[in-house]
Amino acid sequence: MAGSQNIGEASDNPVAINVTAMVDVIFCLCIFFMCSFHFKQLQGKIETWLPKDRGIFQGTAASIVKDEICIVLRWDPSQRATLCNVRFQKPASSDDELMQSVLAIAADYDRAGNTTYPLIIDSHPDVPWQDVIHVMDLCKRNKIQRLEFAAPERAIE
Amino acid sequence: MSRSKLQVQEEISPNLIPMIDIMFLLLLFFMLGADMGQRELEEVMLPKALAVKEDREEPGGRKNDKLVVNVYHRYDGEAAACVPYKNGDVCREKKHWRIGIRGRDFTDLKKLEAQLKIEADPLRTAPAAKLSSGQALPPSDRTVIVRADASAPYGYVQEVMNTCAKVGIYKIECGAARPPDSELKGLSASGKG
Repeated sequence: MAGSQNIGEASDNPVAINVTAMVDVIFCLCIFFMCSFHFKQLQGKIETWLPKDRGIFQGTAASIVKDEICIVLRWDPSQRATLCNVRFQKPASSDDELMQSVLAIAADYDRAGNTTYPLIIDSHPDVPWQDVIHVMDLCKRNKIQRLEFAAPERAIE
Repeated sequence: MSRSKLQVQEEISPNLIPMIDIMFLLLLFFMLGADMGQRELEEVMLPKALAVKEDREEPGGRKNDKLVVNVYHRYDGEAAACVPYKNGDVCREKKHWRIGIRGRDFTDLKKLEAQLKIEADPLRTAPAAKLSSGQALPPSDRTVIVRADASAPYGYVQEVMNTCAKVGIYKIECGAARPPDSELKGLSASGKG
């Protein structure tokens, strides 16, 4: 009886299509995409600026910004660690100590009505990039938005 | 007549249609999930940071304004067996590192400078052609995203930044990856490295 048959059954259509080859191809495609698939890690960015109107490549500066916070990073080969300090201060022993020093200077600038001071990252070339990013991350987490990089001691020619 | 004699041999044919439907769905999922847009990005072990901003096109911003510069460890030849890099330490062998833009090698800083200048010129605040020789180039609104490997010494990133400064690019963004939730606690509580 025709009414008891399902739609798409072989008896509906006398031309039988062999789907085995198609299944094989789809399996292969599935395996290819599964193997090449890797879950996307959230990649983002930390915004920074290079000095726009001063520095070694921009000629003489019309005005020099004096209010800034400078974090110095240098690599200590004996300890195999990065030493960080606010300029003219002793190396900080922890992230908290470093940020306390930074925030104390920032609070002074805020009290003086200066809200546009940059935080300059002055890193030695040997310092691992991860440590530089770590310091930038700490600053961003403490709401210090304007990060800049110090120009090198010598121009690369 | 006994009942057993009436039995007819049935042909067993599994219905493949639901399986094909599911496989098509799986195939679609993996095809759409494969991020083809990331192909221009080199394989870089990005440094981890919590305060990363997701890289989205800003309203009114042109996506093409951003240029990705990768600083990555070579994965061929001698560099493939680099022990410090494999151990997650800093690799200080300069010849193991490369600078790439859209899959092309720009480790030679002269080449990099020429390429960055080409990229910066259309977005300059003043036409560069009008400047006299020796005068610094006017700033460009081109943004450069530096995607450097976490194990790279800062010096190599600095070279890229200096080259950017030379051609008048001052908007620099540093690529970083947000760590998975399992690592978040450790990273936020970690001491200074």
